[in-house]
Amino acid sequence: MKKTITLLMLITVLLVSACSGSNNGGGNKETAPPANTGSATDAPKPTNDVLSGAKPQLRQLQPFDRFDPNTYFTAKFLEEKTGYKTTYEMLPEELPNEKLNLLMANREKYDIMRLSKEQFFTLAEAGALEPLNDLLDQYGDKLKAGIQDSTWSAASIDGKIYAIPQGGTGIYASSTLVVRKDWMEELGLQVPTNRDELYEVLKTIKAKKNVIPLTGQLSLMPEIAATFGIPNTSWMEMDGKLIHQSEHPRMKEYLAFMNKLYKEGLIDSEWPINTSSVAIERFTSGQAAMMSLAWWSAPAVVNALQRNFPDGDFVTIPYLKDEQGHSPIGVNTGIAYFMAIPKWSENKEHAMNYMNLKLEENLFKELVIGQEGVHHKFEDGKYFPILPKFDEELNNASFFLTGVDESVYSTYWQARVRKDPILFNYFEELQKLAEGHFVIDPMSNAPPIASISENSQKLTKFSNDTYLQFIAGSVSLDTFDSYLAQWKADGGEAMIKDANDWYSSTK
Amino acid sequence: MTPSYLKRLRLDVLREWDLYLMLIPGILFLLLFRYSPMYGIVIAFKDFNIFDGLAASPWVGWENFEKLFHSRDFARVFRNTLIISVYKIIFLFPLPIILAVLMNELKNMIFKRGIQTIVYLPHFLSWVIVSGLFINILSTNGGLVNKIIQSFGGESIAFFMNTDVFRAVLISSAGWKEVGWGMIIYLAAIAAIDPQLYEAAKIDGANRFRQIWHITVPSLVPIIMLMFILRLGSILEAGTEQILVMYNSIVYEVADVIGTYVYRIGLGQQDYSFSTAVGLFDSVIGFILIITGNYLSRKFLQRSIW
Amino acid sequence: MRHKTSILDKIFVVSNYIFFILLGVITLFPFLNLIAKSMSSEAAVISGRVNLLPVDLQFGTYSYVISDGLFQSAFINSVIITVVGTLLSLIMTSLSAYPLSKPRLRARKFFILMFVFTMLFSGGLIPTYLLIRELGLINKLPVLFLPGMISVFNMLVIKSYFESLPEALEESAKIDGASNFRTLVQVVLPLSLPVLATIALFYAVGFWNDFFTAMIYINSPDLKPLQLYLKELLASANNIFLNMEMIDVNKAMNISPQAIQAASIIVATIPILLVYPFLQKYFVKGVMLGSVKG
Repeated sequence: MKKTITLLMLITVLLVSACSGSNNGGGNKETAPPANTGSATDAPKPTNDVLSGAKPQLRQLQPFDRFDPNTYFTAKFLEEKTGYKTTYEMLPEELPNEKLNLLMANREKYDIMRLSKEQFFTLAEAGALEPLNDLLDQYGDKLKAGIQDSTWSAASIDGKIYAIPQGGTGIYASSTLVVRKDWMEELGLQVPTNRDELYEVLKTIKAKKNVIPLTGQLSLMPEIAATFGIPNTSWMEMDGKLIHQSEHPRMKEYLAFMNKLYKEGLIDSEWPINTSSVAIERFTSGQAAMMSLAWWSAPAVVNALQRNFPDGDFVTIPYLKDEQGHSPIGVNTGIAYFMAIPKWSENKEHAMNYMNLKLEENLFKELVIGQEGVHHKFEDGKYFPILPKFDEELNNASFFLTGVDESVYSTYWQARVRKDPILFNYFEELQKLAEGHFVIDPMSNAPPIASISENSQKLTKFSNDTYLQFIAGSVSLDTFDSYLAQWKADGGEAMIKDANDWYSSTK
Repeated sequence: MTPSYLKRLRLDVLREWDLYLMLIPGILFLLLFRYSPMYGIVIAFKDFNIFDGLAASPWVGWENFEKLFHSRDFARVFRNTLIISVYKIIFLFPLPIILAVLMNELKNMIFKRGIQTIVYLPHFLSWVIVSGLFINILSTNGGLVNKIIQSFGGESIAFFMNTDVFRAVLISSAGWKEVGWGMIIYLAAIAAIDPQLYEAAKIDGANRFRQIWHITVPSLVPIIMLMFILRLGSILEAGTEQILVMYNSIVYEVADVIGTYVYRIGLGQQDYSFSTAVGLFDSVIGFILIITGNYLSRKFLQRSIW
Repeated sequence: MRHKTSILDKIFVVSNYIFFILLGVITLFPFLNLIAKSMSSEAAVISGRVNLLPVDLQFGTYSYVISDGLFQSAFINSVIITVVGTLLSLIMTSLSAYPLSKPRLRARKFFILMFVFTMLFSGGLIPTYLLIRELGLINKLPVLFLPGMISVFNMLVIKSYFESLPEALEESAKIDGASNFRTLVQVVLPLSLPVLATIALFYAVGFWNDFFTAMIYINSPDLKPLQLYLKELLASANNIFLNMEMIDVNKAMNISPQAIQAASIIVATIPILLVYPFLQKYFVKGVMLGSVKG
């Protein structure tokens, strides 16, 4: 009897809470953004009416960063110059998309949101973003002038612009192979220029010195894949069509070569479990002879190597060529951030005005690199930072950008690279080596496409995982075809078709 | 419900009114923070779109569960989850108990307190850090453990890429990280034992080991049963956070568990329906085990949680 | 016979000490490694040169970490949350555990099950977020300790302990006419110091280490607790990737050096480590001594 009562009471509690809860859940629907509103369907209002009067405080949602933007120099600078006070809030570093969805589903009143491509697409799809065409026409003259049409297309769906796309840093090479100069000299070796020479160099190093010839961690090592004609982009053009990197005809060859290197001990035996910091550790402690060095890590690596081996030095290996003499360096000119205004913002016009003001010529320059003579100097047509003021006040300035003037931004931006001489030297050397070899991802400025947005992350992880298995030899390369078939079945086929549909529509 | 029963009930409650009063804050807390959001479980049975809201999302019944059970590698990840979880229980559940008993035998208070504070330190390090540590020590490129193995004439073992030993790595590192912390609750239980019991036993001629067996251990039985039954409730959680940072595709075969698998196939999407369904599956299995465990405990040991 | 057991006993004692010394060493090692890294030069740290002792000794990392305004506010936030949260939770949890430990409570099984059920089943993030929002707690500090006020696990431990106390203790109080409440406060709780100290520790560590709650409900950088701040600091190296293809080059140039990361971990962990030694004095034997005769 008692047990029955207990059970009944338990069920009652559950039912009661379920009932009261579903009212809550139902309420969620009523607050969801309705399908057909937005100033797009209203007649454009005259400029003076809306923007006159006191400037409201704007609320801006940003991706994660490590400093407090509300007390930063640039925030105060912007408030002073534009008259708009902005409070900044940030998404977390982990699960940002989950949190963003929660915030949006609950119609949190942000005025400006700086979104990643993925986030932008999700929100645009869900109808949470305000179409900006009219706002741009009325208040966004500088934005329209500063951003190219091809960039705008990345943020447009069916002719409606849903965000201000920010790109404009320019095309740069990220990394190249570096090798211990002192050891190469010791062994009388020349810097390799192609894959076969690389192989010989690695073999010699292994035979003569008891070190790891090449350390690294990537499943797709760009410098080696390039020797098979594979650029490090997700998409590439072949015979007039788009193919995804996973289905590149020479991918299997690349993997076979890496597997060969692995079996012969020419690459780090812990390749599949290494991280970039492990690779740096091996190289700077003298355990490895060669690694792929990214320019932003150059100062740390140079310092560490010098500290441990005063006579130690490294030299860059120019990009290895494939059989045709090319070394395709894949780059993406894509959009870094999308600035969007949610439909329920109450300050849409002011938000647009604010973002527009920031692109005013002098303001924009000062925003990015500060005042001449105080933060930077201009020499030989280039901008150089004045340290330490530049670092102190402008290190995080890019956080505050909501759209850039593409014609000048890349020149301004280079001032940042010049703040450290080692960084600068290595960066310039890389760009010189890379000149003329860039291959641009044809999908760089493509608008959001559903099948790609949904599948690319998971499929890329799947490919990377499988490549590592092939390289380490834990799975035989004979199964490559069945892996690729599975890749296609899990959404790859849909991605390729949709990508090509878009591509042919742009021709 | 006879009138006399109700009358007795009323008298009981009135007499112990403050006992019931004490319970009210806790019950209110539960109702507000735990039960009122419980309608969310329904998300597992819907094709949920966060922007449309719960009511407007279409009902799909068991579809999300079918997606889980019919997913390509489900059999493998389910098997791995159970194996790793059971191994962890077998090897790691008794350790803190044994350690607490042994530590109780240390007489030097300063040493005892110092050691207690040290062995629980790893609990405070995140798995990201602990993982890096173990990768370093177990490395084939100059890692400490392999150096020792080689000095004994053995061959290097690639711990993190060897499907035969990787599970052992997972269990050992989990043990190292949590055994000191897990000890604390048993130490507290031991501290509550009346010292007079030990005095009496000594007078009766019992040596150390007999004292442990007849006094210390039986006093720990209630807390051990509680911990064990509750541990069963999380049997399908084999250590997702740990495994995510420590595993790699070479050892998926033995280390891919439900949590890590669901994470990978859900990358780039926020499929709340699916993750809720997986969570519900975990909860139901865990709940069944707790009820069963409690029932068995009541039947054979005359102790139970309720 | 006594001599024999004495030798065996001595062997046991010695090996016990040795065992714990070894255990202490292997658990202490990573902390010493972290401390050493935090006081070494970045060059030494990234090339793996640091083991147990600092290399190129410097303290710049600590002053850098501590002088960060965000670190300071995060630290203060965590202290407030931990202290307030632990106190509140101890009170709420003990108040619930006591009635549930009494067999004479009507519908006791039902109430216990009601608690246990919530250990396994939950509505999930979305409805909970809605609730917090309705309560007006989004981006407010109390959200970091209110929803976590009762941990059923902790409650069950306290309840188990209460159940193990001899009935005679309370009967004498009852005879003197004490109410349930007074019995709890004046008789039961003073005898429960070991378990209360333990649960206080569990709650304190739980609140101090929690970053997830803040991650979801806090938006303003100055309301973040310490562990969230720390986690985000450490993640900097992975965070330069905007999506699969692109890197935020500005972020790439600002990756937090490893020596600073190590210093941050140390500073964020030391405070909570000091709680346990402080509570150890409550783990005293003989709390029950003389309380029950016969």
